[in-house]
Amino acid sequence: MQYDTIVIGGGHNGLAAATLLAKAGQSVLVLEKGAQPGGAVGVTRFKDGGSVPRYAHSTIALGRQEISDLGLSRHGLTGREAPLSTLLLSDDGRHVYLDGPSVAYADGAAHPDAAGFTALRDRLSRFADKLAPLVAAPPPQLEGGDWREIVGLAGLAFGIRRLGAVDSREFMRVLLSNVYDTVLDEMDDSPLAALLGVDAVLGGRQGPRAPGTVLTLLQRLRNGGNRIVPKGGMATVVDAFAEAASAAGVTIRCKTGVTAILTEDDRATGVETEEGERITCGRVLSSLDPMTTIRLTGIGQFDAEDVRRVRNIRTRGAAAKVNLSLSAMPSFTGVSDKQASGRILTAQGLGDLELTYNAVKYGEMPETPIMEIVLPGRRDAEMGATLSAIVQYVPYDLQGGWTDSAKKTLESKVLDRLEGFAPGLTASVQEAEVLTPVDIETETGAPGGHWHHGELIADQMLMLRPVPGMDRYEMPVSGMYLCGASTHPGGDVTGLPGCNAARQVLKGLKKRAAA
Amino acid sequence: MSVIKKPAMKGVQRGLSPTPFHDFLAPMNLEQSWMDWAGFLSPRHFESIESEYFAIRNQATVFDVSPMRKYRIAGPDALTVMNRLVTRNVAKMRDNRVAYSIWCDEDGNVIDDGTVFRFTATDFRLCCQEPQFSWLNDVAWGFDVEIVDESLDVAGLSLQGPTSYAVLKAAGFNGVETMKPFDIRHFDDGVTVSRTGFTGDLGYELWVPNDKAAALWQHLFAAGRIHGLKPVGYEAVEMTRIEAGLLLPGKDFQSSHHALRSTRGRTPFELGFGWMVDFGKGHFNGRRALLKAKETGPRYMVVGLDIDGNKPAYDALVYHRGKVEAGHVTSALWSPTCKRNLAFAMLKAPYGIGVTDDLFVEIYRDKEGKWEKGLARARIVNRRFFDYPRRAATPPALY
Repeated sequence: MQYDTIVIGGGHNGLAAATLLAKAGQSVLVLEKGAQPGGAVGVTRFKDGGSVPRYAHSTIALGRQEISDLGLSRHGLTGREAPLSTLLLSDDGRHVYLDGPSVAYADGAAHPDAAGFTALRDRLSRFADKLAPLVAAPPPQLEGGDWREIVGLAGLAFGIRRLGAVDSREFMRVLLSNVYDTVLDEMDDSPLAALLGVDAVLGGRQGPRAPGTVLTLLQRLRNGGNRIVPKGGMATVVDAFAEAASAAGVTIRCKTGVTAILTEDDRATGVETEEGERITCGRVLSSLDPMTTIRLTGIGQFDAEDVRRVRNIRTRGAAAKVNLSLSAMPSFTGVSDKQASGRILTAQGLGDLELTYNAVKYGEMPETPIMEIVLPGRRDAEMGATLSAIVQYVPYDLQGGWTDSAKKTLESKVLDRLEGFAPGLTASVQEAEVLTPVDIETETGAPGGHWHHGELIADQMLMLRPVPGMDRYEMPVSGMYLCGASTHPGGDVTGLPGCNAARQVLKGLKKRAAA
Repeated sequence: MSVIKKPAMKGVQRGLSPTPFHDFLAPMNLEQSWMDWAGFLSPRHFESIESEYFAIRNQATVFDVSPMRKYRIAGPDALTVMNRLVTRNVAKMRDNRVAYSIWCDEDGNVIDDGTVFRFTATDFRLCCQEPQFSWLNDVAWGFDVEIVDESLDVAGLSLQGPTSYAVLKAAGFNGVETMKPFDIRHFDDGVTVSRTGFTGDLGYELWVPNDKAAALWQHLFAAGRIHGLKPVGYEAVEMTRIEAGLLLPGKDFQSSHHALRSTRGRTPFELGFGWMVDFGKGHFNGRRALLKAKETGPRYMVVGLDIDGNKPAYDALVYHRGKVEAGHVTSALWSPTCKRNLAFAMLKAPYGIGVTDDLFVEIYRDKEGKWEKGLARARIVNRRFFDYPRRAATPPALY
């Protein structure tokens, strides 16, 4: 046996899992198909020297536990980074700026819904914090759970009860509800109202009226719901995960695709690489999605029910990425440079979100794209004049397919929209990169180009993620585990699926040693 | 006010469908006693159950098995898919052989039983009671096979009884004498014969494309007259099925796909089908659950019962020492051939496994509007009650 553990895929989750296992004394090999580790946290470098986060351009605040367990703080991720501010662009020019607790128009005038919004956000954040323990552990077991888990769940229930009669009733009321109604119960529709909607649906393929979108929102609102970009940009995130892994003794091999997971007597025994090399190991962790993992192992190794469940995971993505290299930093009308240094959203309201979502259902491109924009150069001059935009509601299965001209159309729609807020931006474009969901699938292996490797919505969360029976990271073939975004608690740059999977592996080993 | 006119409805066929043999069956069905078998008109009995039962045991009979579900599984991965489906090792079968088999869900509970026809390693037919098309497609997903539902294209006749071989010989099926049990042989006019059946006696099943069904019937009956060939209905076949020790899904156990309650599924070990589970052939559906089930031991056991007296123990409860409820009877009859009062019972562990003696069945009798009950002693016996050497003799005797 050459290694105790082989991790397939060197994204941040694979690296996180590898690091924890190596720290527990295992010999760990990470195999990454791409030229460098990072997965969906890569960097695009433009010809003129500017650079931009290739896919993910911010992280949801990483948990303190993960940062300390993985030793990320020694590699540039301290968890004390200042959260990004948020700028909400409005068609009528009355942009809204949120920085920390302050909610006001960009010109400094008071926003009429500021108090209502703050109260709602604070309440939802309180709910989110009650649910936070669920995220940092394997999902609860419906049967056969040990007493520690049951005590933990009882604690969770008690915590919800301690919200008080009014709040706990409200918690139960909105938990599986939709974000559209939940927000518009409290305020009029506006870019400010859209903010919570965007937080709920970004990266997924749900409209804000879809039931369960509040639960998705709550998952993102934990730790205050802050988005973070560490010093040095997203490259720091990749480097921190990779360096922490190396420091823990993990071997990372890039440009090594895996073509098969080898099994013997219903047990994972190694992998075969693209070059035909066979590497043996005690267990295999796959940060790929379940279907790819099943195919690598052989469909015949799995019961038909498992294959059917995995087949039916909703994985079609609906977010594209547009990266621009500009001759000069864009200037948004009526917005200061500081105000444009965080997240910039273009959604005009929850109604706008829902209507834009409609196009996806029919495989059409949205008329007016909804974007989350980040200008990396505003925070880090080294990145140059670049713009990173996540374009929400761009279908994976576009009618007519993602031809070059379709990509060009998406690019011009994005530029048209940006031009309205930042006149002159189009003329300053030097280079543009359009990554459709299909491109994202091809490059990162994320099925359907879905950055969560599967829609993050109530019926695909917790013990239903990725499918019942694989929710505890263990695959039916023994010695085989999932550790990627497809598993609980899902995508976003948190490292949690990887950490949870590794902890589950170690727990299993401990149990076996005791027995 | 405008009047909305209802669109003209095109007539849809209602009621039960005739089988390809219906035109022959109908005039012979003197009792006009029909039942619903998978949506088809199937004879319950033609004249009297007794005469048909004794015909099965003493001469030659045909039972129209066209309503059985027939699926063709063909393609380069057919063998892999069949082995993924059933618990037996299909790779060990020779070409042109039939194997009785079961298939399980992921919990190791039996979905259905049926016969696997292996024509070649790339061409199989599965013959069973319950619709399995969607399940087969689930099992075959990702493999290179084509699954065709042949249920409505292939007619079947079960030719059973001591003189069934003589009928085939007289009908000119040359070479049938070398057919061993579970052999398949192909004859002219698209007729495929398998030496299979569910009476526990000498018998064959004849499979034919629908358009050749009438010709086959006429041919058989022309040749079979002097061998006492006659059609039989479900009731008589049901008696012989119990005597032969064969379980019926839906009666003796519940298909796990139909059971709403999670505890109603039964593993092969609980049905006495452990011999059909081959753990050595690699993964198959339910293998992991079955390994676990084998370790923990059966929760139930289907047993054959030999019961005192001559009152059939229909739906009777089984008691241990006359007090503790141990299970219930699923099929029962007074066997006219064995001259024994027989039944299958589903017993809850440890009864039927560790505890096998002191069993009683509580038999209820409606005596002209007055219910009487009595406890009769029951002994667990091999459930293959009727087992006769002529079933397997090759060549069969020419009675």
